[in-house]
Amino acid sequence: MRMTMAMEGAALKLAPPGPFRPNSALALASAAASSSSSRASFRRLSSSAAASSSSSVLADSDPSASGSLSLGHLTRPDFPILHQEVNGSKLVYLDNAATSQKPSSVLKAVLEYYEAYNSNVHRGIHFLSVRATDEYELARKKVAQFINAGESRDIIFTRNATEAINLVAHSWGLSNLKPEDEIVLTIAEHHSAIVPWQIVSKKTGAILKFVDLDGGEVPDVSKLRGMLSKKTKLVVVHHVSNMLASILPIEDIVQWAHDVQAKVLVDACQSVPHMAVDVKALDVDFLVASSHKMCGPTGIGFLYGKSELLTSMPPFLGGGEMIADVFLDHSTYAEPPSRFEAGTPAIGEAIGLGAAIDYLSEIGMQKIHDYEMELANYLYESLQSVPSVRIYGPKPSRNINRAALCSFNVEGLHPTDIATILDQQHGVAIRSGHHCAQPLHRYLGISASARASLYFYNTKEDVDNFIEALNSTVNFFNTYK
Amino acid sequence: MASTATAALSLRLFAAKLPFPRRPSRPPPLLLFPPSSAKPISFQRIADAQPPPPPPRASSSPSPAQLQPIEDLPPNLRSIVALFQSVPDPKSKYQQLLFYGKNLKPLDQAFKTRDNKVEGCVSQVWVRALLDSDRNVVFEADSDSVLTKGLAALLVQGLSGSPADEIVRVSPDFVTLLGLQQSLTPSRNNGFLNMLKLMQKKALMLAAGAESNGNGAVPAGEAKDVGIGMNSDTGVNRSSVSESDVDGGREVSVEKSNLEVDEVDSESSLGSRGQRIRERLEKELSPIELRVEDVSYQHAGHAGVRGSDGETHFNLRVVSKEFEGKSLVKRHRLIYDLLQEELQSGLHALSIVAKTPAES
Repeated sequence: MRMTMAMEGAALKLAPPGPFRPNSALALASAAASSSSSRASFRRLSSSAAASSSSSVLADSDPSASGSLSLGHLTRPDFPILHQEVNGSKLVYLDNAATSQKPSSVLKAVLEYYEAYNSNVHRGIHFLSVRATDEYELARKKVAQFINAGESRDIIFTRNATEAINLVAHSWGLSNLKPEDEIVLTIAEHHSAIVPWQIVSKKTGAILKFVDLDGGEVPDVSKLRGMLSKKTKLVVVHHVSNMLASILPIEDIVQWAHDVQAKVLVDACQSVPHMAVDVKALDVDFLVASSHKMCGPTGIGFLYGKSELLTSMPPFLGGGEMIADVFLDHSTYAEPPSRFEAGTPAIGEAIGLGAAIDYLSEIGMQKIHDYEMELANYLYESLQSVPSVRIYGPKPSRNINRAALCSFNVEGLHPTDIATILDQQHGVAIRSGHHCAQPLHRYLGISASARASLYFYNTKEDVDNFIEALNSTVNFFNTYK
Repeated sequence: MASTATAALSLRLFAAKLPFPRRPSRPPPLLLFPPSSAKPISFQRIADAQPPPPPPRASSSPSPAQLQPIEDLPPNLRSIVALFQSVPDPKSKYQQLLFYGKNLKPLDQAFKTRDNKVEGCVSQVWVRALLDSDRNVVFEADSDSVLTKGLAALLVQGLSGSPADEIVRVSPDFVTLLGLQQSLTPSRNNGFLNMLKLMQKKALMLAAGAESNGNGAVPAGEAKDVGIGMNSDTGVNRSSVSESDVDGGREVSVEKSNLEVDEVDSESSLGSRGQRIRERLEKELSPIELRVEDVSYQHAGHAGVRGSDGETHFNLRVVSKEFEGKSLVKRHRLIYDLLQEELQSGLHALSIVAKTPAES
């Protein structure tokens, strides 16, 4: 075991060449299979971007006058899936709020797991099993560090954020909620943050109270504060809205909630991938996120919970791994996090998530956030210029930031029609529907909306292409009115 | 360009059944695949390599065996398919589709009922079916999405005037012949597929009812049974046929009596909350039109949190001068504010249509 660790330690120091260089893949293949392959190769990207012989980089890049490339241009080569045509046009992928694309390093990490050391974790003592366990637990540690959780054991791997919320609802909720207890949510919550609580409140007699939007089309934070009372046991809020692009003041909300002894669960699916999230600074009680929205594989997500909460919670799913001793008539349970990780986990995927975190950390979340703020403003302004467009959520200003996404409608057109022609005629991928936020849509008086959402590998050119395609699409339908 | 497009069109004939991937295939394992030359196989490439097939006539059509022979389609549908096949490029096909939709006779508001709604669509789609004097099925349809309306128009025009058994035999595969990239994967998102299934189901119901001839309103319970359960997997639902055989009255009057029964049921049997909502809105908004519909049963899975008597979800349609000058959001807030008490005491949700007299 010690030797394995030493090997990894040495391997970590290797800086693999950037993947967009033609020979890089081969070089990687011949390098000793190690966790270094999951390290981001971003560092090399910035230095070698100018020297790159890759045609796709040159074709995609549009250097500004100063000659430097944007983060989007620099990172695009890491994402093979972006370089394709759909329906005869270059793919412009603007559905990142639904799921993100994965860089080569993540794909490599997962493949490498299955090729080199796939083995069940925590159970075996043989070489492969030990290695798999180490990598799996290392991934857990990476998640903990990424969100500044104190201990790795405060991170529970789940299938995704939805499962994580269900875990809290069933485990913490069922054993802590009583009739007349109140749970405060906003109407802008994702269905995964509403439905589990509806189920649990039906069983426990707790009541759900919803905060609606204020005049600026963001959840009314002062109303939320007003709703808190000593009856409130839990506040469930999103950090960043997947439809409104608004950002909630989590620190304040947690403060107010704790003042009335209520717990706070934060749905960070749209924040963790895009900015630095510090659970200690925010002092949240529970936080959930999904790997697939942050450059990691699908099938894995996590729940962060404060240690004292997790230790007091009963199991969610029963089975192997989460037990201490099993008798015929009863069993005793393991400590967290194992207590909440029944059965064989998505090992390769967890390792992939670790690789994604490495990749993101290599770039730096502040850098990602800053670039996305630029893109967010550019997207909003460009979209505003489209005639008869209606963008939902707050207007960006000095005090109000928007995430890099816009849900919108064009007057007289159905969003599905827009999305269909954008895809069929222009290769632009956006989303149309209710974005798992039916209550929010109902409140806004609409049945559906279109949504374009960006990530750090998008560029201003992507936005330009989108707007051009949108204008063309609107014309297409208007000629047929 | 046109030839490539034609070739691409003909390729879609293959798309549904042959193992060519519909989307560009993923590149081989990354370790040995330089991303810079990551160009997955695209339809364009394959199309270029093949000569365009002969103009489609079913017997010599290059379509694989599983595709339903064109002769089996109702004649109107056959002509539509032929028309689309003669349109060269995707953009023009969409224009053709929009043209169909534009000429579709709009569906009377009265028929936009739950029973007529195609489940699962993101856009709203309604389909109405009736029998004409020759006992053939006639359809009407509408949608708020113009592309879906186009597809609906295709189906309406293609299937109307045909006997029920012919309609029921139509396989959705024909849509691949249109070259519209219409997916055949069953899913709640597949508007086209769900529309066709609903039309086939209604056709079947009408035919079964027409055999046991009858008139007049159908008992409330039965009407509801026939209407709900729209989500069966196949257009042929034997169990609903046998149910409807029991009483007759399944012909033209069916849709209307369903509608009337629904309306009457939901309005006259409003519980205390429904009455209160009605009174409050009438008092405060003096509406020229007010519809309060209790749809709590639709949410029966999660309703009744506090043991309320089931009155948890309502559809409201309010036409009032009070809304003049107010944005949609403000109108909704007005209504929400008026019904605050109800919202605090177990009313879960309102689906609101709020219009001024001028807009209605």
